[in-house]
Amino acid sequence: MANTKNKALSTKSKVQNIRVGVDTGGTFTDFVFVKAGQIQLFKVPSTPEDPSLAIKQGLARIGAALEVVHGTTVGTNALLQRRGARTALITTGGFEDVLAIGRQARPELYNLNATKPPPLVDDELRFGVTERVVASGEVLEPLDDGELPRLVEKLKRARVESVAISLLFSFLHPEHEERIAASLSALGVPLSISSRILPEYREYERTSTVVINAYLQPLMGRYLGRLRIHDSGLNLRVMQSSGGSISAEVAAEEPVRTILSGPSGGVVGALRAARSAGIKNVITFDMGGTSTDVALCDSGAIRTTNEAVVAGLPVAVSVMDIHTVGAGGGSIARIDEGGSLRVGPESAGADPGPACYGRSMLPTVTDAHVVLGHFAGAGLLGGEFKLDDDRARAALGQLATDLSRVAGKRMSVIAAAEGVLSVANTNMERALRHISVERGHDPRQFALLPFGGAGGLHAVELARALRVPQIIMPNAPGALSAVGVLVADVVKDQSRTVMVAYNSKDVTELSQVFREMERDAATVLRREGFPELRQRHERALAMRYRGQSFELLITRTTGNLAASFHRAHRERYGYAQEQSEIEIVSARLRSTGLVNKLSQRKIATAKAAVKQHAIAYIGGRKTEVAVYKRDELGREAKLRTPCIVTEYSATTLIPADVRAHVDEFGNILINL
Amino acid sequence: MKNRFDPTTLEIYRALFTSVAEEMGIALRRTAFSPNIKERRDYSCAVFNAQGRVIAQGDHMPVHLGSMPMAVAAALDVIDFAPGDVVAVNDPFAGGTHLPDVTLVTPVVRGQWSVVSRKRRVSARPLTTDDGPRTLFYVANRAHHADIGGATPGSMGLATDIYGEGIRIPPIRLVRNGELDHDTMRLLLANVRGNIERRGDFDAQIGSLKTGSTRLLEIIERRGEREATEYAAQLIDYSARLMRHTIASIPDGVYDAEDALDDDGVEDRPVRIAVRITIRGECATIDFTGSAPQVVGAINAVEAITVSAVSYVFRCLVGGDVPASAGLMEPIEVIAPAGTVVNANPPASVAGGNVETSQRIVDVLFRALSEALPDRIPAASQGTMNNLTIGGIDTRNGQEFSYYETVAGGMGARPGLDGMSGVHTHMTNSLNTPAEALEYAYPLRVREYRLRRGSGGEGKQRGGDGVVREIETIVPARMSLLADRRKRGPYGLHGGKEGARGVNRINSKSIAAKGSHELKAADRIRIETPGGGGWGTK
Repeated sequence: MANTKNKALSTKSKVQNIRVGVDTGGTFTDFVFVKAGQIQLFKVPSTPEDPSLAIKQGLARIGAALEVVHGTTVGTNALLQRRGARTALITTGGFEDVLAIGRQARPELYNLNATKPPPLVDDELRFGVTERVVASGEVLEPLDDGELPRLVEKLKRARVESVAISLLFSFLHPEHEERIAASLSALGVPLSISSRILPEYREYERTSTVVINAYLQPLMGRYLGRLRIHDSGLNLRVMQSSGGSISAEVAAEEPVRTILSGPSGGVVGALRAARSAGIKNVITFDMGGTSTDVALCDSGAIRTTNEAVVAGLPVAVSVMDIHTVGAGGGSIARIDEGGSLRVGPESAGADPGPACYGRSMLPTVTDAHVVLGHFAGAGLLGGEFKLDDDRARAALGQLATDLSRVAGKRMSVIAAAEGVLSVANTNMERALRHISVERGHDPRQFALLPFGGAGGLHAVELARALRVPQIIMPNAPGALSAVGVLVADVVKDQSRTVMVAYNSKDVTELSQVFREMERDAATVLRREGFPELRQRHERALAMRYRGQSFELLITRTTGNLAASFHRAHRERYGYAQEQSEIEIVSARLRSTGLVNKLSQRKIATAKAAVKQHAIAYIGGRKTEVAVYKRDELGREAKLRTPCIVTEYSATTLIPADVRAHVDEFGNILINL
Repeated sequence: MKNRFDPTTLEIYRALFTSVAEEMGIALRRTAFSPNIKERRDYSCAVFNAQGRVIAQGDHMPVHLGSMPMAVAAALDVIDFAPGDVVAVNDPFAGGTHLPDVTLVTPVVRGQWSVVSRKRRVSARPLTTDDGPRTLFYVANRAHHADIGGATPGSMGLATDIYGEGIRIPPIRLVRNGELDHDTMRLLLANVRGNIERRGDFDAQIGSLKTGSTRLLEIIERRGEREATEYAAQLIDYSARLMRHTIASIPDGVYDAEDALDDDGVEDRPVRIAVRITIRGECATIDFTGSAPQVVGAINAVEAITVSAVSYVFRCLVGGDVPASAGLMEPIEVIAPAGTVVNANPPASVAGGNVETSQRIVDVLFRALSEALPDRIPAASQGTMNNLTIGGIDTRNGQEFSYYETVAGGMGARPGLDGMSGVHTHMTNSLNTPAEALEYAYPLRVREYRLRRGSGGEGKQRGGDGVVREIETIVPARMSLLADRRKRGPYGLHGGKEGARGVNRINSKSIAAKGSHELKAADRIRIETPGGGGWGTK
């Protein structure tokens, strides 16, 4: 290569600037970085007690001063395990129980023994203050500052570690919250203020979000602090739930933004892989042991929602619209009293695990794959982990006996295994429908991108059910999240409630609002090291028919907005009300600092060499399949189908009636 | 077993049909105009087979779910459906329950233009060449409209006959062959308050039916008509099997119980509801003979409501997620004598039958079953929905408004578990209107919304606490309250104490639980809802 010398020089001068993507998972912490123009990747065993230990260990291996972008589950886990801070809540007097009542609905209709998760703030730590702002933004009752010293005293005595403040209509008049915050600053504990974190209406959802933030703040601050101790010069960034990274300072202030940090890294990584294959519309499909995460990316954009529920609690900040279903490799199959075959949500987990792990006799989805020969005898983790075929067959044999009794005819072990996979696929299909069809997207315009260990075993069946025409099996599916974290842009989202009736005259005023937001964002991004040329600002308007409560996001912000809105409404809901008044609820701006893209390396050409064959059941038919090793597949290689592709952290099953080839970047493309 | 089936395919269809109903609900919520539908989700959606038997429902409102099949049956009786027709019905004496709940039904027709296919090319394409237009399924939704006319805003006042309660809609076509019948729509809108909101809600209901039809046609196209219809029938059998299995697990015997509503709002005497449950093997007979004759006040239930309450109670006993299909009621016979408060004859007023009497029927059924299954049955929950309606003219902009809300209360204590506080129980599960959403939409202000501490009944396990909700008017308005458990608290079980009775006030002056009042600006209505009964001795 002619430029070897240059490259070496530049690598050396950039030692200070090595960026590392770190993703903390349940078993391994993944590290991805670029060295000498090449993506490097390694795994270190996770340290669940204090995840920062594994990170320090990994960073030490890379050496030098670094920029680290981190996908973390610290927030989510603390919430799931209820390990957050002793938190107090300040509300408008008379509304202290907003968290306890919620939306007054019970979680399950017909379960007489259902329970609600208890509020994150105990009864005696919820305090009302005298004040009231009304829907017009006017102050009906001024805040009584005289009460505040007593409140501070009570909070001090209660030894609270964090405080959330959420008053009615505070987003129209933040002053009361700010004055309370000023008084409480004497406590020296973190404060989460609703008009700053989520200036939007619906008091329960807003308060829940702000309380989650307060609950996580001390813990997240300490955690990120420990990472810094490693190196005070470290530029630390955290992946946020809506895609894009935020600075460690912002993450420590607003940890509620990191609640889906880990999974959102996976989606960003998936999107990058899709882009390399030239595909813009993808549905991502991350199948793990106990659950499966799915998400939809439309025209290269990641969909977000503000109606997420995490650990039973609403989170109303923008998060990636990732839907989780309790179906994974470890899901247990059984026959219920009415004779229906059920798979999951009970899971064998990692311990005792599926029957084929050798410690249980639980028939699971993984066992069904084993029985059907889908692992081609390769086991897991490149053969490090052996699977017990006989045990899997025995567990499914029992299920087959039960099924035979119900169906009144003999059903083989193979038929039972096929049945388990069909039901598991139906559950996952429902999750995929939930994020696509139910939200008005036609799966025929998307590609499916599976990752995680077992995604590739189910992808073709699911794509068929949904009529997805193409599957992209990305390179290194096991480390996709860390890659995603590394390549994620820096993102700043803003939203201004405008609440105006649509008429074309207002459009000029709107551009004024957008220009102001853009100016603010540009300043922040410049400070973070992004010159004008590496900034991007995307405008959108949230619109609805006057009277509705849910908006549609329209990316067109000039010209005939009404026509765009009617069209969007018709596409989504099947009709438009052209005589009805339209309301513009908010102006939204997403500002992005573009991170230097990793160059996608083209892989070398090599013939797809079949060195091995195996017997597997596909669609109920016993078939001889070709077995490929992923790292032996070269660019443009056409795969002989049916085949099984094995690699370190994943297995892919490709039946006979589809075409599959490897693209120049190493993705396997399957066309249905 | 009469029909052989494949367990895998059965499970697949359960998921497919249920997701159709769920999708319909999402479309309805996201496009509706009234806070009662978009915020409180006071609606339900369901899928029916060609014979009009329900095969799947979303997890929406129990009182709707058990009674919607009667509405579809009534529509099928009267109307010869053509593709693209949408039929509306709310008449309690022809398949409805109370007037504000309006049900819309449409056939799902293969190989023909239907309400769906005008806009979507995919489903318009004839699927096979030999098939004529044939209805394979019906989809229906029911939504509670915040006003349906009558003497009081919100249509939940105390009329003494059905004519005073609002506009009565027998099964009629609202959409013909895919085209809205404008004459009918104008007639409806002329009879209700807040007609912009009503029109938006009707459009949302029609849109939701299109969503459901489209999805069903996709399923048929993908999996074949024969399999889809066969497994629709299989789902009904499956539910019936699960219900038989459940009933068989209840000890055989005869179990009696009674309870009463405080009064009918007109005459001051309790209104008795009595039941005798006979369990024999896999079958149950539920006999309401002995319940009070129908009354003058608006708490009469039509038979659909009584059947719905029975269906809810037995559905709770099954456990797990059984498909909510017609099969659930196969092994259960309901005897509700005509002319009683559990099966009223026209022209009785019925606004509260759906929301109050239905709750008391549930209380009576569980009390009877507590004898058979002492370790499974909870003490009484609040036993009322505390229906509050406030309406009039918003003098600030001259527009009519009509606010409807039901207020949560305490859940009865369960064996081994306290009752939940501040939740809706049994026949309803509607959400609250957030104070901020309410104040954006109406000239009203929420002054207080908190748990009513100490209102749950004492016991080994405590009943859940009720709530306090206080609302202030900004303009003069007319309000109606329809509530119960104000004279006698929800019962405890096995030595547990009663939950606290509910309380209602205007400006700290006590008012009756059922009735209407004129309000001035700055009046305050305060509702304190009942606590749940306790379970076991402390």
